Amino acid sequence: MTSLLRFPGARLVSHAAFVIIIWFLVMRLNDSVDPLANYYIALVAMYATAMFGMVILVGLSGQVSLGNGALMAVGGYVFAVTSLHWQTVPILGVPWNGWWSMVFAAVGGIVVGLLIGGIAARLRGPYLAGLTLGLAVGVPAIANRFPELLGGESGLMLTVPYPEGGYAPVEEEVFVDSSADTLSGDASTMAVPSADAAVSPDDMLTMDNFPTTDASAAVPSVDASVIDPGATDMSGVDLSGTGDLIDASFIIERWQAGLAITVACIAAFIALNLVRGRQGRVWRAVRDDSVAAAVAGISPAKAKVSAFAVSSLFAALAGAVFAQILSYVGPGAFGLGLSLSLLVGVVLGGRSSLLGAVIGGLLLVWLPEFVLSLSEKGGWGDQITNNAPNLIYGLLVVLVVLLAPGGIVGSVQMLIAKVTRRAPKGV
Amino acid sequence: MTSFIDYLIGGVSNGAVIALMAIALVLIWRATRVVNFAQVGQAMFTTFVALTVQTLTGSWALALVVAMVAGAILGVIVQFLVLRPMRRADTSGAIIATFGVLIALQAAVGMIWGGDAQAYPQPFDNAGVVAFGRIWPISVYDFVVIGVTILLVIALSLLFTRTSIGLAMRASAFNPEVARLSGVRVSRVLTFGWALAGVVGAVAGVLVAPSSTVSPTTFDILLVFAFTAAVIGGLDSLVGAVALGVFAGLVISLVSGLSNSGNAPVVALVLLALSLITKPDGVFGHHKARAV
Repeated sequence: MTSLLRFPGARLVSHAAFVIIIWFLVMRLNDSVDPLANYYIALVAMYATAMFGMVILVGLSGQVSLGNGALMAVGGYVFAVTSLHWQTVPILGVPWNGWWSMVFAAVGGIVVGLLIGGIAARLRGPYLAGLTLGLAVGVPAIANRFPELLGGESGLMLTVPYPEGGYAPVEEEVFVDSSADTLSGDASTMAVPSADAAVSPDDMLTMDNFPTTDASAAVPSVDASVIDPGATDMSGVDLSGTGDLIDASFIIERWQAGLAITVACIAAFIALNLVRGRQGRVWRAVRDDSVAAAVAGISPAKAKVSAFAVSSLFAALAGAVFAQILSYVGPGAFGLGLSLSLLVGVVLGGRSSLLGAVIGGLLLVWLPEFVLSLSEKGGWGDQITNNAPNLIYGLLVVLVVLLAPGGIVGSVQMLIAKVTRRAPKGV
Repeated sequence: MTSFIDYLIGGVSNGAVIALMAIALVLIWRATRVVNFAQVGQAMFTTFVALTVQTLTGSWALALVVAMVAGAILGVIVQFLVLRPMRRADTSGAIIATFGVLIALQAAVGMIWGGDAQAYPQPFDNAGVVAFGRIWPISVYDFVVIGVTILLVIALSLLFTRTSIGLAMRASAFNPEVARLSGVRVSRVLTFGWALAGVVGAVAGVLVAPSSTVSPTTFDILLVFAFTAAVIGGLDSLVGAVALGVFAGLVISLVSGLSNSGNAPVVALVLLALSLITKPDGVFGHHKARAV
């Protein structure tokens, strides 16, 4: 096997093959589950995308950042604004579609990441954490500064650009366009018709394999994983309210999850190549000893800025996906809570491992649901149910930092190394 | 011009609270070289304790005292359970752990007192003082806030310069190894520093609560302002924390008054970024060679 992997570009090919296999398997899984599970898959993929960036920034480059939620806001808002205002792509003149907005979100993320990284590269530990904390609180507030363009406190509702060809069968996609309602931008009024739809038994078109009641119950609880309890702006946004479909074979959640999975896989491919290649060694070298790295001809500043730019790219992509999952962007959705969630996920999953990012994403989505199911059994009050996940996250983060800094992945690696009596793989 | 001056006057009491929170951050930084991002979580917890006491007894002063005691206890608990075992961990670990404490404390507050914003009763007259034939944008309560802050700052500076525990704290911060050899029980002194910071943070929380509402995350923004003030002040310097805290309060009041209160976090962010670019060690900080 090792000899096979020696030809030039072999690593690229093997990473591509690995990612494509994963993509294929997860897409198959996505097609075989119900829409509620699709929704969870979409969230996990979205978190994983953002946390690949956190692994690179916090784990490999050693810069603790609270700002990645703000960078997600950059991606989300670029996506929302471009998709609301553009019919054709500027300069290129080609007809606009959702992927163009993703590209612009990515570019926006890189630009902002370079900007912040330029400042951050001069800073050490707590200064950087404080600056990025300021970002997490300050950037969403910028939306209030430009209420016409960015929607202010109430945010922007957006019609998700559903595919014309591609994932769902083309000829069967017929929408009853409710975009007029959607664009009115009032989350609370939106939830009402969809909640009605959930209980009305004659609406079989969406009901037949669509557990709307569960889904609408799930949204606020997943919302609880966004740590800021004040960020309930989006709790009223019911996914089923974004467009009633005449044909049941197109499932919005499934399409959204497919998008999230695809973006996560693209991000994973880029991240794998960077982390396992020269750049990954550069980041680790600077993290472990920046003076020694500089002596070896590495520029610590460049390494730190590039880590910021890459993580910012991933955050922006995740933000654009998040905007499409919610059909909404708003300051509440991208607040400090989101940034803290990302930090929690990546620390628990494993700071230095891309796999840890995926596990962290699973944990962020699963734990609130688990707590919800426990509370239904135990009859806990709302106050306890809504806050229990964050209490657990906070305590777990402290415990993990104290006892198992490598997180879940790091601990498993240590365990395997103990059993096989080999040194653990360098992280 | 009148409104400009009014905004400045109105910002003083706000600045006093930011200064207190910045002092709390500085106290812990000096003692243990950790920025305690959980400080606002602790302050929020103790503020809710104070709210409970006040609702039960109706006494603002008693509530303040109870909050101070709770702040000291909570500070000691956090230091004992989290930061003391953390000494062996890397700096990233300590930072992440303080955020973990913040998340857990905010969740605990939400669990016990609910996630909704609650009003904190106004203990003193909140109307503008009337003098010299006009209404000034400063109330009796603002004077109380400023007065308590000044008292606390004087008490702290006396503690640091006139008492043996203050001397021990300075010695431990300056050089823990030498302090230990000279008979200072450094770890106890550090714990005392955390308790002290907890008290100061608790006071800040109770003082600011009536002019905003209290909910688990209300103080997040205060953390940003206080961190900004502490960093620009040099993180090491109590004088810097006070001066820059008040300054931040004035700037925020000006910006909020002249444009929109939603801009305040952006202003803090810009101030913080500018100061970190130009003077990474702060205006009042001592320039030190960076450990590599």
